[in-house]
Amino acid sequence: MNFRIHIPEPKTPLPDIKTGEGLLQWISTVDHKLIGIMYLWTSVFFFIVGFAEAFLMRIQLALPNNTFLSPETYNQIFTTHGTNMIFLVLTPMIIGFATYCVPMMIGANEMAFPRLNAFSYWTFLFGGLLLYASYFAGGMPNVGWFSYAPLSEKFFSSTPGVDYWILSLLLMGIGTVSAALNLAVTTLTMRAKGLSMTRLPLFVWMVFVNSFLILAAFPVLNAGLFMLLIDRQLDAHFFLSSTGGAPIMWQHLFWGFGHPEVYILALPAFGMVSEVIPVFSRKPIFGYEFVAASSVAIMLLSFGVWAHHMFAVGLGNTFNAFFAASSMLIAVPTGVKIFNWAATMWGGSVKLTTSMLFALALLVNFTIGGLSGVGFALVPVDWRLTDSYFVVAHIHYVLIGGSLTGGLAAAYYWFPKITGRMLSEKIGKWHFWLFFIGFNCTFFVFHFLGLLGMPRRVYTYADFPYLGSLNFFSTMGAMVFGSSFILFIVNIFYSLRHGKKAENNPWNAWTLEWLTTSPPQPKNFESVPLVKSRRPLWDLMHPEDPDWKRGNSKKTQGHE
Amino acid sequence: MMLFVGSESFFFLALILSYIYYSRKGGQLSTTAGNLDIFKTSIFSILLFSSSLTIYLADLGIRRSNRKMLMFWLGATIFLGTIFIIGQGVEYSRLFKQNITISRNVFSSAFFTLTGFHGLHVVTGLIVLAIILFLIVSGRFRHLENQALRSASIYWHFVDAVWVAVFSVVYIGSLL
Amino acid sequence: MRRFLDTILHFFGKMSTSSSPGEDYINRLFLFFLILCGVIMVVVIVMILTGVIRYRSGRIQGEPDQRTGNRAVEMTWTVIPFILVTFFLVLTIKYMKAINSPSAEGKKAEIRIIAHQWWWEMEYPGYGFTTANELHIPAGRDILVQIESADVIHDWWVPDLGRKIDAIPGRINYTWLNSQKPGEFRGACSEYCGAQHAHMLIYVVAQGKEDFDGWVISQQRVPGPPADSTGAEGARLFRERTCISCHNISGISDDAHIGPDLTHVSLRQTILSGMLPASRENIIKWIGDPQKIKEGSHMPDFMLEKDEINALATYLEDLK
Repeated sequence: MNFRIHIPEPKTPLPDIKTGEGLLQWISTVDHKLIGIMYLWTSVFFFIVGFAEAFLMRIQLALPNNTFLSPETYNQIFTTHGTNMIFLVLTPMIIGFATYCVPMMIGANEMAFPRLNAFSYWTFLFGGLLLYASYFAGGMPNVGWFSYAPLSEKFFSSTPGVDYWILSLLLMGIGTVSAALNLAVTTLTMRAKGLSMTRLPLFVWMVFVNSFLILAAFPVLNAGLFMLLIDRQLDAHFFLSSTGGAPIMWQHLFWGFGHPEVYILALPAFGMVSEVIPVFSRKPIFGYEFVAASSVAIMLLSFGVWAHHMFAVGLGNTFNAFFAASSMLIAVPTGVKIFNWAATMWGGSVKLTTSMLFALALLVNFTIGGLSGVGFALVPVDWRLTDSYFVVAHIHYVLIGGSLTGGLAAAYYWFPKITGRMLSEKIGKWHFWLFFIGFNCTFFVFHFLGLLGMPRRVYTYADFPYLGSLNFFSTMGAMVFGSSFILFIVNIFYSLRHGKKAENNPWNAWTLEWLTTSPPQPKNFESVPLVKSRRPLWDLMHPEDPDWKRGNSKKTQGHE
Repeated sequence: MMLFVGSESFFFLALILSYIYYSRKGGQLSTTAGNLDIFKTSIFSILLFSSSLTIYLADLGIRRSNRKMLMFWLGATIFLGTIFIIGQGVEYSRLFKQNITISRNVFSSAFFTLTGFHGLHVVTGLIVLAIILFLIVSGRFRHLENQALRSASIYWHFVDAVWVAVFSVVYIGSLL
Repeated sequence: MRRFLDTILHFFGKMSTSSSPGEDYINRLFLFFLILCGVIMVVVIVMILTGVIRYRSGRIQGEPDQRTGNRAVEMTWTVIPFILVTFFLVLTIKYMKAINSPSAEGKKAEIRIIAHQWWWEMEYPGYGFTTANELHIPAGRDILVQIESADVIHDWWVPDLGRKIDAIPGRINYTWLNSQKPGEFRGACSEYCGAQHAHMLIYVVAQGKEDFDGWVISQQRVPGPPADSTGAEGARLFRERTCISCHNISGISDDAHIGPDLTHVSLRQTILSGMLPASRENIIKWIGDPQKIKEGSHMPDFMLEKDEINALATYLEDLK
């Protein structure tokens, strides 16, 4: 028995969704779908910028003692590359998908605070532009994306680059925190009738947990950023040891943010593959409760591991032991998910669409990245390998192999919903294989480079054995990797024009967003069915075998 | 608002922990800290704490649909908050006259940063409350039962709670 | 391809025979870790391939059995990692303590290593001299070194000689160096420290007792007056053109440590912290245009004439 529930109009009328046409519509919109799309395009744009930065670095590093880039240019590029990829590519990617999909996945027509949503996006965008404005202001920041003091203090970095970096991160942080607040409140208050918290689609659940990570971690960054700004501009003494300050304090504050930040980037990607893999295996995810619980465990633990970035600082055996323990511990909930995802396929009927291929690539690549991370938790191994190319391998495997790959899986999965057209599977397969091969060729060798003694953040290196050949091989890989991205853009533009028109539910998926049209109407739903399980559409499509009869849902009396 | 307040508390937590670290590190607790006027600041703090009471009374005014009560107590809150800020300003200028500025030493850097950000949060709150009061007085709020004041009063209580923490750690802590 | 395999073998070869006990622990832990990685990767890949191949679509009609999980299986694959984590944690703590012992409490460091923006200062307080960039140690015993920084955070990293450790301004860190046999080791600064972080290499020479003692004596020797007039001219320029206010030369100067100690620069293998081989030519090139050679370095261009540079090079060369 499934009857539709009409979604009541909100008490105070929302701003008119379609105000104006064209550019004005985009600038003034408060519609979560349009804002989500803006986030995603921003992410794509800055990926091009960040990849160009990476490619310049790879050319410089292809040969030993190369002189393609001056040291100062290289140092500015690697700093901006890191900041760009984390804050201007991965962050808008996850927030974009969350903003677009979460309301629809819970059967809502809008987010809790539509105006705040718009504010979040524009503040974030201006923050990002501010980072690049530093180029015109006398020099981009050149102190690394985590800007260690005292190198980032005025005495050692007299150009305004660092100040722009600080202000840029503050602005982007405000945007991100308000988006997280919006997402959390939306999930708490705007769920469809019958959609209890334990029936949430895993993507929504991960985004929800993630919001708390963001709410708690970014303020710590803000504290550190303000202190650095005050040091630089008002001559305070927080991080300069010559005047009584403590450089290590910056590290504590930054990594107190920095470590939760990387889980902030990873958790939504986990949510994405948790949606994609079940749909293309044609059965529910293996162990919903474990996967959901493990993300809560990760959220709590991630605040207790930050000093594993500081094992080489010499803070003592007890200190190191504590953080080694917590860091190894956090690997367990993260790793367990990999098994859950792989097991979802067993007993299923696996369809290898491009989206599914990317999801599976995440399983492989993120495991490699996660394992190298666990290596660093082993303190003596960290004492050999931290700040070398081994850690550069690790971060790229978890961030690209984890976060970005999840985003690409999500892109192929939700593109039909967002645009009403299917992405070409043919181009998609080429995209995937070039991506997978290019990515691994570029970054796997970094493990060896680190073992061979190449430090990170060097604009060149001496002609010691194997360093040149491995670096050259990596640069070749980067070209393949870059070409995969070009194919992705081609796929997007081609499919927008000529792609097959998508039906409402091209993948036969089971969550509420697939009830809407492709693309959705400005008002997502006129009405939604009463939700009785984690897969409302499965129940609709299989009335003879609904989830709630099989005990797949929590037995609750209606809305919780 | 609760979530926002929760988030901001992490900000203040980081600043408070940093303050505690820096105030002990510099060994200036006995020297620079000795210049803080605990007595005067206590008076102004009591005024700030009472503003939590007045805003609670304003809230009551909403629940009892008593517009005059609401406006009076809201005005009182703003008044008390402003006195607090003036008091802070006076304390600051007294310290500046003794050449204790943010760049004097590690203790003063931490002190001004922590109390300064608290002050900024109070000023922001005062602006918000003033706008709400203006909107009520000019008749723009048709229903008194309004989410805006409720959210603002959660924020205001938060700002007070932070001051409890900051006052204890900074002023009372300097006595230990 | 062959060279690629060589790299892998080279690394594994190194892992089984290291020259330093600290390094031994690290290698052993890393080997256990690699084995674990291998096992886990195999498990994950087999699980994925099985899922993809055995359960590919088209095998069955309609939807498959909608089972949702198996508590027992999930508990197992949660508990086993926990056990592995405990095993590795115990090993980690054990080895970490071993590498850091004995504790440096109450002991005096034999060598003070002070990191600067883009070179390494090494002071031997017991022997009474200071050198730069090239560290000599006696082989076969533990040596306590103290690591400091004069400006920003750097990191002492000589992979074959044990752990790396940060050089932090305002703080003294200690580490033990121990090379069981004589040998040469390369390292690098491993914490981004500004423009020329890439050229802050480290060169450590572990020597047998006789060789080391000989080296110490050569370092302790105060150089005599220059042999010829060019050298004397060089010495005069060294003082009058203010080289002396940054660089120390024993016997004539005021012990400035803003730049590397140049007393025995002619005895070193490289100059500029491993950037160029030490030779008269390179010294001339460097003094002539420092920014061209090591852009961003703190050495100014003194706009010296060619013959002045020549004289300085002669003077430095002849210092013995």
